[in-house]
Amino acid sequence: MTRLVSSRFIARAALAAVLLVPAAARADETCMSPYMPKITGQEDYVYVVTLGIEGVGDGSDKLVTIGANPADAARYGKVISSVSLGGRHEVHHAGFGDDRRHLWVGGLDDSMMWVFDVAPDPARPKLVRTIDSFAKDSGGVVGPHTFFALPGRMLITGLSNAKDHAGKTALVEYNNEGKFIQTVWLPEHAEYGYDARVQPRLNRMLTSSFTGWNNYMTELGKVMNDPEAAKHFGNTMVVWDFHARKPIQTLEVKGAPLEIRWALQPRHNYAFTTAALTSKIWLIEQQDDGTFKASAVADVANPMDVPLPADVSLSADDRFLFVDTFMDGTCRVYDVSDPHTPKLVHTEKIGAQVNMVSETWDGKRVYFTSSLLSKWDKTGKDNEQFLKAYGWDGTRLTPLFAVDFLKEKLGRPHIMHFGQERFYKNQIYAGEAGGLAAAR
Amino acid sequence: MRRHRLLAAAGLVLAAAAARAGDDARLRAVDPAELTYTYAVGGFAPEYTPPAPGSYTLPPIDTVADHALLDADGRPTTLFALTQGRLAVVAFVYTTCIEATGCPLSLAVLHRLDRIIAADAELARRVVLVTISFDPERDTPARMAVMRAFHAPASDWRFATTRSEAELQPLLADFDQPVAKLRFADGAWTGLFRHVLKVFLLDGQSQVRNVYSVGLLDATLVLTDLRTLLLESAAHRRKG
Repeated sequence: MTRLVSSRFIARAALAAVLLVPAAARADETCMSPYMPKITGQEDYVYVVTLGIEGVGDGSDKLVTIGANPADAARYGKVISSVSLGGRHEVHHAGFGDDRRHLWVGGLDDSMMWVFDVAPDPARPKLVRTIDSFAKDSGGVVGPHTFFALPGRMLITGLSNAKDHAGKTALVEYNNEGKFIQTVWLPEHAEYGYDARVQPRLNRMLTSSFTGWNNYMTELGKVMNDPEAAKHFGNTMVVWDFHARKPIQTLEVKGAPLEIRWALQPRHNYAFTTAALTSKIWLIEQQDDGTFKASAVADVANPMDVPLPADVSLSADDRFLFVDTFMDGTCRVYDVSDPHTPKLVHTEKIGAQVNMVSETWDGKRVYFTSSLLSKWDKTGKDNEQFLKAYGWDGTRLTPLFAVDFLKEKLGRPHIMHFGQERFYKNQIYAGEAGGLAAAR
Repeated sequence: MRRHRLLAAAGLVLAAAAARAGDDARLRAVDPAELTYTYAVGGFAPEYTPPAPGSYTLPPIDTVADHALLDADGRPTTLFALTQGRLAVVAFVYTTCIEATGCPLSLAVLHRLDRIIAADAELARRVVLVTISFDPERDTPARMAVMRAFHAPASDWRFATTRSEAELQPLLADFDQPVAKLRFADGAWTGLFRHVLKVFLLDGQSQVRNVYSVGLLDATLVLTDLRTLLLESAAHRRKG
């Protein structure tokens, strides 16, 4: 009987593969590359890329690991480990490679990049490679921002260039061993860069646009009060033939469109972004003729207050869009079941400032961090620096734990990624409970 | 008759799989979703026409070395002996894989490529397909021969394995093909592997020109890339 059951199971699986029947997918972690396996179920760790602050701890940038599994009460919401990067490099974003083993981290100031190996001990990522030749390799690109896994390689967006430190920039690819492959500059009249995300079934990539080194390494107040500096922000998104790496359409999206989130469900041929300076949610939607159209579909708070929407997260069922606004430290949750008419369904004050938001694959937990950029963060008592975890039940956010990154002498926390013991140890369990204990 | 041979071959493979992977009752207690990687919501079904061959470039990603193999008849061979300086589509599988987005998908795509390549004289002359097992313990040459019989290649589609883990590991490392045994909490092997599906496109100089995984592995796209490399090669000959 066992053999019969197994044979049927295997035959069904093989048939499903041949027919390309969709594999069961249970939920979220939606902004990660679709070419990279996801961590499902309860995460054990949150890896937090953290900017150093002079006089706080060793003052250096770090990769910090926080315990996130309530089954491990002793480490839940606690700092487990941190790896110092020796100096302040304006670390910002990070991304796993195609096997989700190696985490790449980039510094926006000096274009340094670091690669951590998470697999041997997921509680203590190990620095295994440092790349200090990004600008030279790429032919003058600086400010490595998004790290997006492609099969066999890492796609990295630049924010600026070495020639004038303005906004003209490019997409840069390395192989998984850190060897440079190619640079693809953004097209004329849409030369700013920020995020890049691929929708594989459409062979389309979208890129967004921010600003160059001259602005992001200058105090926010100075930038906003300098009419000349304020001119140097991106107002475009580019639609690419992904396989050919060729731009095929430029869309006008005013006010620095930042994070891009493709819808995940079949036949949902659209993506969302938010424009930081105009405080709008934009829908980028494929038309019947195959081209794309950009439409502003909602204001986020009062745009006249410049609330500065920063990070966004879209749930796996394409229903909820979480939008963080940095200035008022608030997360707004929109029901985007009808992507043309987002409805505000929940508002949560997270802190004095909030920037990044990361939703788990099962959609039950949402994590927030506070820092935007070292020179754009608030000052004085409003310079709160935290990681905060919340539960999400579909209607409201409920606090789970918080880590004060100043009290812990760590710095300014920015992007977050998840780790899980059983994922990296290639172990399975009959049920969720006890998994972490068994793995350790 | 041909259908009966195919069914018999398939039965052999599946029965072997059942004997190994399915005999452990513990496996049946596991949520099937735990046994496989999840990449995205739903499966991957391309809804696009690839760009025209030659309208884009495929910059080299890496270069691979030669590696010792055993062919499906049990004879010692090497990767380069199989590819012979031709364009090559190289895929790593294990024959008892149950992952819908893993080896069965890889084999289905190569099966389709095989038929298309066989029907195109230039492709048939210039391209070789290579399926290599990463399970030398169970995927003996005889097992690979069963797999070959099941697919009945119409083009030059080679099936190979390695003698041992010691011979396999440098090959996997060279290709950057992650593979790990999937274990129960007590450390016992489930009989399954965790692996990221990868198929590699090699040019005549053994440079990796593309890597296909879930979300990218599609026979039409691979064919477009093969034709792009043939056009590139023709352009080099004209210049040279």
